[in-house]
Amino acid sequence: MNRLYPLNCDGELTGSIRLFGKDAESYAPGEINRRVATVFQDPDSQFCMPTVEEELAFTLENLHVPRENMQTRITEILKLTGLSALRHEVIQSLSGGTKQRVAAACALVMEPEVLLLDEPISHLDPVTAKEFIHWLDRLQQDLNLTIVAVEHRLDLWDSFFSREIQLDRSGCFISDKIASVRSPVSLPERVSSMGSEIILKAEEIAVKANGKELMTGLSFTAHKGEIMVVAGPNGSGKSSLLKALCGIYPLDAGSIQSPGVGFVPQSPEYLFLEKTVAKELAFSGIATPEELDDLMDRLRLKEIQYDHPFSVSHGQKRRVATGAMLADRRTVVLMDEPTSGQDAAALLELHRMIAERSDEGATFLIVTHDMEFAASLADSLLLIKDGKMTGKYPAYEVWKNTDLLAEHHLLPPKGVVQFAKSFA
Amino acid sequence: MQNLLHDMNPSLKFVLVTLSMFAIAFFFNPWTPFFFWVGVLLMQVFMSIVNWKTWSLFMLPFALGAFGYLWTTIVFAADTSGEVIWSYLGFQVTADQLETALSLAFRVMAFSTLSLMFAFTTDPVKFIMSLMQQMKLSPKLAYGVLVGYQFLPVMKDEFNQIQQAHRLRGAEVEKNALRRLLGMRKVLIPMLAGAVRNAERSAFAMEARGFTGEARSEYFQVIKLQKADAAMTAIFAFLLIVSCSAGFWF
Repeated sequence: MNRLYPLNCDGELTGSIRLFGKDAESYAPGEINRRVATVFQDPDSQFCMPTVEEELAFTLENLHVPRENMQTRITEILKLTGLSALRHEVIQSLSGGTKQRVAAACALVMEPEVLLLDEPISHLDPVTAKEFIHWLDRLQQDLNLTIVAVEHRLDLWDSFFSREIQLDRSGCFISDKIASVRSPVSLPERVSSMGSEIILKAEEIAVKANGKELMTGLSFTAHKGEIMVVAGPNGSGKSSLLKALCGIYPLDAGSIQSPGVGFVPQSPEYLFLEKTVAKELAFSGIATPEELDDLMDRLRLKEIQYDHPFSVSHGQKRRVATGAMLADRRTVVLMDEPTSGQDAAALLELHRMIAERSDEGATFLIVTHDMEFAASLADSLLLIKDGKMTGKYPAYEVWKNTDLLAEHHLLPPKGVVQFAKSFA
Repeated sequence: MQNLLHDMNPSLKFVLVTLSMFAIAFFFNPWTPFFFWVGVLLMQVFMSIVNWKTWSLFMLPFALGAFGYLWTTIVFAADTSGEVIWSYLGFQVTADQLETALSLAFRVMAFSTLSLMFAFTTDPVKFIMSLMQQMKLSPKLAYGVLVGYQFLPVMKDEFNQIQQAHRLRGAEVEKNALRRLLGMRKVLIPMLAGAVRNAERSAFAMEARGFTGEARSEYFQVIKLQKADAAMTAIFAFLLIVSCSAGFWF
């Protein structure tokens, strides 16, 4: 609808689109973009200038706005969007949620009639996403905008939308109806397979990087087969904890006892070194061919064993990375944000993969903001704030404690809340 | 006064620096590059604010290179005719040899100091904006460079993360430099894949905001040529004339 397709990526378009009563084809390049503005998914790759003010000016320059009007328009839009204080900030230093607001401000400075959103909250944590939606809701009412969004996680949007169009996997039209408030993806319940044997023991660990203290005094234990979710606000040191546990960051103090800790980064392809999936698992030469065969069977990697690890799907990449860790006898697997930007099918696949491995005796430490996911999977929660551990709690205790959740920028899982309400 | 070089029009500075380099390249006596070098240093001292520690670090390899030139040209000169002015342990140094050696060494110093002066006093974003406004650089190219510049810290972060991940897999660090260079391929492939994705996203985002690549009619941040720029041009010209004529005095 913003006329980037088909022209800018050699695509083909059949049928016709009428925009503001005129055929879309008849607009000059760039002409339609000032009436139909867009906010994209990734907060990191939609800016080309260093500061907020310059970025807004870039948009106005594109529209050939006279210079004397630029200042007033920039001031106005910043006031409207509540971003005045950030006028001279460097965009790359802002948080993800603020970047998305800046992106929206850049779209709105064009004074568009329609705003298109492409999964604008998929990179944000739930509390930030909620705030962004409220903010957008107010703007939409103030400006009387038409908003069209592409989204697969509808639960956070509540009653924001008034109409929904469903498409199936191949892009075919399914339905066009009045929007309903969605409940989150329902994930299967599972029975914990936590054993009694302690497999990971961290004592008073502290990490420093570049002279800056990242965390201090963390102590906890994990049992065989346990699934532990690590949660806390952005920048609280969750990723640093994982990196310290698997030995990427050296410890400043304390000790970690474990037979082997593996790490699956948010982009699993960072781990890959070989040309086929099978060779990738066998890279270290620790596991025997029989063990590898068995492992590939269990992880359903047999059908892709001769494929290049970069060419398989995201879920498969994560399975390959997990497999590589298990093949190295690293039975404690750390996962950094495996749920971010995943649709329902991918979440289910991830859920199944983790539950199965846990049943086989692997221990998981998972960093995630998705409390629905955590509620359906976790045995325990490790809450972290400002590089300090608030504590390790059994999962069911945390869902009841709303203060504790709010303090760590988390939203209680809806399934659990509804469950609690029905008993109240 | 201390801000003069920083506030100078970046395009003009670029043109002056390039022209000076070309001019100096045609003088083979030691005095021209020497005077020019001293002149540039004085400009750096009095007309800019520089962290001299970083400056010295950057200068170190060039200084070593200059000394290397000096030494090798004196000791291993092809042409050993002429008046011997100094002899020690069987080495004989002629006046011609010394002159060529000094000329080469000062030239290295002059060029590197000049380049560093440009690099240390120019804001890359302003430079690109100025190239677009004064030198009619195409906005397509200019904003492409700017986007790339925004991505540098992201790429550095990615590079570190991939290296950490590889170390975790037990990919040992190769001692042999050539092997290590070949091993870099494994880090670069995932980085390039990510870069292509990011580039495409950025391009879409820019076009969605009405960027078409055509010349712009208005600029928010206007970069002008000012009176100070004329003065700076005069200073550069003066320095160039003095150092070029220096070759004929001695």
